[in-house]
Amino acid sequence: MFKLASKAIEIADKYGVDFGDIRVIEERSQELGVKNGEIAALTDQTTLGYGIRVLYKGAWGFASGSTMTERAVADTALKAIGIAKASRLLMAAPVRLAREPVYNDFWQTPFIKDPFTVPVETKLDLLFKIDALLRGNKKIRVASSEMSFVREHQWHLTTEGSRIEQVLLSSGASYSATAVQGAEVQTRAYPCTHGGQTLAGGWEIIEALNMADHAERVRDEAVALLTAPNCAAGVKDLVISGNQLALQIHESVGHASELDRVLGYEESYAGSSFATTDKFGKFRYGSPIVNLVADATLPGGLATAGYDDDAVKAQRWHIVKDGILSGYMTNREFCGKIGKDRSWGSCRADGYSNIPITRICNLSLMPGSTPLEQLVGEIKDGIMMENNMSWSIDQKRLNFQFGCEIGWLIKNGKKAGMVRNPTYQGITPEFWGSCDAIADYSQWRLWGVANCGKGQPGQRAMMCHGSSPARFRKVKVGVHG
Amino acid sequence: MTNIEKVCEKVFKLAGKAQCEVLAETRIGALTRFADNVISQNVASSSVNFSVRLLDSGRTAKVNFNQTDDASLKHAVSSGLEILKKQKKDPALLPLAKPLPLETAKNLYFRETEELTPDYRARRAAELVKACKKASQTAYGTFENGANGFVIANNLGLMASHMESSAVYSITVRDKDGFGWAECPAFDARNINFAEINETARAKAAAGRAPRDVKPGRYTVVLEPQAAADLLVYLSAYGFGGQFYNEGRSFVCGKLGKKVLSPLLTITDDARGAAPGLPFDFEGQPRRKVTLVENGVLNALVHDRRTAKTAGTASTGHALPQPSHMGPLPLNLAVKPGEGTLADLIKGTEHGILVTQFHYTNLLKPQEVEMTGMTRNGTFMIENGKIAHPVKNLRFTQSMVEAFGDIDAVGGQASNRLVWGQISCPPMRLSNFNFSSATKF
Repeated sequence: MFKLASKAIEIADKYGVDFGDIRVIEERSQELGVKNGEIAALTDQTTLGYGIRVLYKGAWGFASGSTMTERAVADTALKAIGIAKASRLLMAAPVRLAREPVYNDFWQTPFIKDPFTVPVETKLDLLFKIDALLRGNKKIRVASSEMSFVREHQWHLTTEGSRIEQVLLSSGASYSATAVQGAEVQTRAYPCTHGGQTLAGGWEIIEALNMADHAERVRDEAVALLTAPNCAAGVKDLVISGNQLALQIHESVGHASELDRVLGYEESYAGSSFATTDKFGKFRYGSPIVNLVADATLPGGLATAGYDDDAVKAQRWHIVKDGILSGYMTNREFCGKIGKDRSWGSCRADGYSNIPITRICNLSLMPGSTPLEQLVGEIKDGIMMENNMSWSIDQKRLNFQFGCEIGWLIKNGKKAGMVRNPTYQGITPEFWGSCDAIADYSQWRLWGVANCGKGQPGQRAMMCHGSSPARFRKVKVGVHG
Repeated sequence: MTNIEKVCEKVFKLAGKAQCEVLAETRIGALTRFADNVISQNVASSSVNFSVRLLDSGRTAKVNFNQTDDASLKHAVSSGLEILKKQKKDPALLPLAKPLPLETAKNLYFRETEELTPDYRARRAAELVKACKKASQTAYGTFENGANGFVIANNLGLMASHMESSAVYSITVRDKDGFGWAECPAFDARNINFAEINETARAKAAAGRAPRDVKPGRYTVVLEPQAAADLLVYLSAYGFGGQFYNEGRSFVCGKLGKKVLSPLLTITDDARGAAPGLPFDFEGQPRRKVTLVENGVLNALVHDRRTAKTAGTASTGHALPQPSHMGPLPLNLAVKPGEGTLADLIKGTEHGILVTQFHYTNLLKPQEVEMTGMTRNGTFMIENGKIAHPVKNLRFTQSMVEAFGDIDAVGGQASNRLVWGQISCPPMRLSNFNFSSATKF
């Protein structure tokens, strides 16, 4: 593939571009799904193509193609240069990229068992077994279980001389039971919602989930939610667990710290950010116990790789340190705007057909020192919420509302009963400022986000958020129309 | 014979006795994005993706690919056939559809629109930027163009194809702390009035400066077409699809022929109507006009072959690519216009809030279509029939069944919006709309 790719570099060099690169991507994926006793998805996908990016006299151009001939690669490179020339019609200062060493390397996601070698019937057998358990109550109207596997093989060449080959592998699974009674509909999922738990690795990820062991509990909780009381409106102490805290991190810190949107480059679509560069290094984002670390080297992380799509080597850095805004998600184009001469390396593209953009890296809340029992035990009147159901946040990432799958009231330090339709609202820095306890490392889990959307044209990216359950004081809960 | 037809022929041959369906999707697109008054991103892509569905004796598999040399085709189809062998039989699995006559569709393809150049897009963006700079405003947005082609064929004789071009000019203008937005999608770029879009967004941004705090609570709202469409699509997606209905999850379950929304509301889905599109569905069935709600009464649902069978009716031609987790969905919605202009709706409002668009909307409770989301890019207080002043953005938490059950007025001028497909939507005035909190800008 590098031989074919080198044609793009040859053209880029010939035209004297400031910078150029080509990423050839071969993606193999497999999706399996069972719904109500029937196969709902069984798809094998293979795509191959390349994306060529050029910085010509300070302006960007990008074009992609999937015809795997030297002629087609050359034509696509010329197209990208033509587009860059048009970009020069409306530019300010020429774009300059931060320096990065040249690499010649191979990197691969560590895994134990290649999921594509596991027979389809083994996968289907597990999904059908779960499906049968979930449908063991007549109130379950929809039982749905699924698995997905993605292997992305990348060949990346730059005009600077970097030659990077990477193979990224991820595996994920989940299931849910939806109970219906009259006009009431309630869903419970394992291990989490939104496509389930996906992590970097192989079939061992699926095995570690012990999927079937939780199916009856999930089914019974879905049914119990039908008659549980609604989460009442009020102000309570809140404990967040499961993938809900992961999504809280994702939406209110991850996107807010993407430097492109901080600088206004996403204003027309997803929005900008309150975490402006004048706040860098001094803004109190959360309480002093809040430490949020971006890490492209995190084992199991979906954004873990040897290099990002700017050919920048993987790094680990603080976004929030001791409660203070201390970093951003950066690419090589924008990191200079905050005085950095090297990108932290968080620039990625969705497949071969999209241009690399600034993305959330793996971003985790560091564990605290409080045992979970103590964290709950210190609450007089509170609620614990688990697993995200709905999410919404304003375009500067300040005002948010989340809905969760399930809640448990906490009275005088003890769980006091299930509530349905739990929701909470807040303003980002006030909310993180109210965090007064984070459970210890024994409770820390990595949660995958496999469907993060951003950009125009729309791109999907994957990343992880690690967290232990955390406690937030005096939060507005039970918000409904 | 086109290249896609040749691929179909080869795939059918490789499939042997198995039933075989090929869906080929061609996407040619280019997009110029600008921010902070400069072009920030400028891209082009083209692809043809194939999806092959195989069925044999109650077993099914799907393989997707984008390389069509003989070796790739052979590998793709043989791996699909291999997966077929490893399944238990599913007696409920429907065989592929036999071809049905398809009506001639509206012409939605305009070569000039597909072939707009990056220079042309840059010049259009530059016009807006020039005007913005002169007024100390900042421009953000996108101008995209391209074409999408769909071919669906099967080895029972089905062969249907459709091609449409598209152009979307979408802009946001910032004027200090004021924001304005406007957008126009079109199949034919000649129908985009760039000057009008620019002026709308710029004027709204200027009028939006110095927004005031407003107390959350229940208000009458005047929704511009985009804002109304942002909400209505949820009613449609979680209400009018045959699968949600069959599974007891729709808010209209058991209410066919009964009042479900305001008598001022009539909603149809028609791929040949005001919000046109693909004239057949992803099973190759003709996409029929369906009046979903007539004067507030639930008239019909949309179905694919599978949900229709369960419901004891016929497919309306609304299948998504099979198998589908969501089931059938209406994708070409049109809300019947009422009377008067947006200005008339504002004039008839004593005390209320004008909403340009909503941001980051999401579903809380499907059975009531309870949703949350934020206002964005132009939110104004209306007092005594006039826009009084801009207000800071608000979060709503509101049942859409309740909100659209209580419509004061539907405007007479619909415009086409892109929200999960095409929707033709007029402005509306709703009473008693719940804003649950405010933000800081």
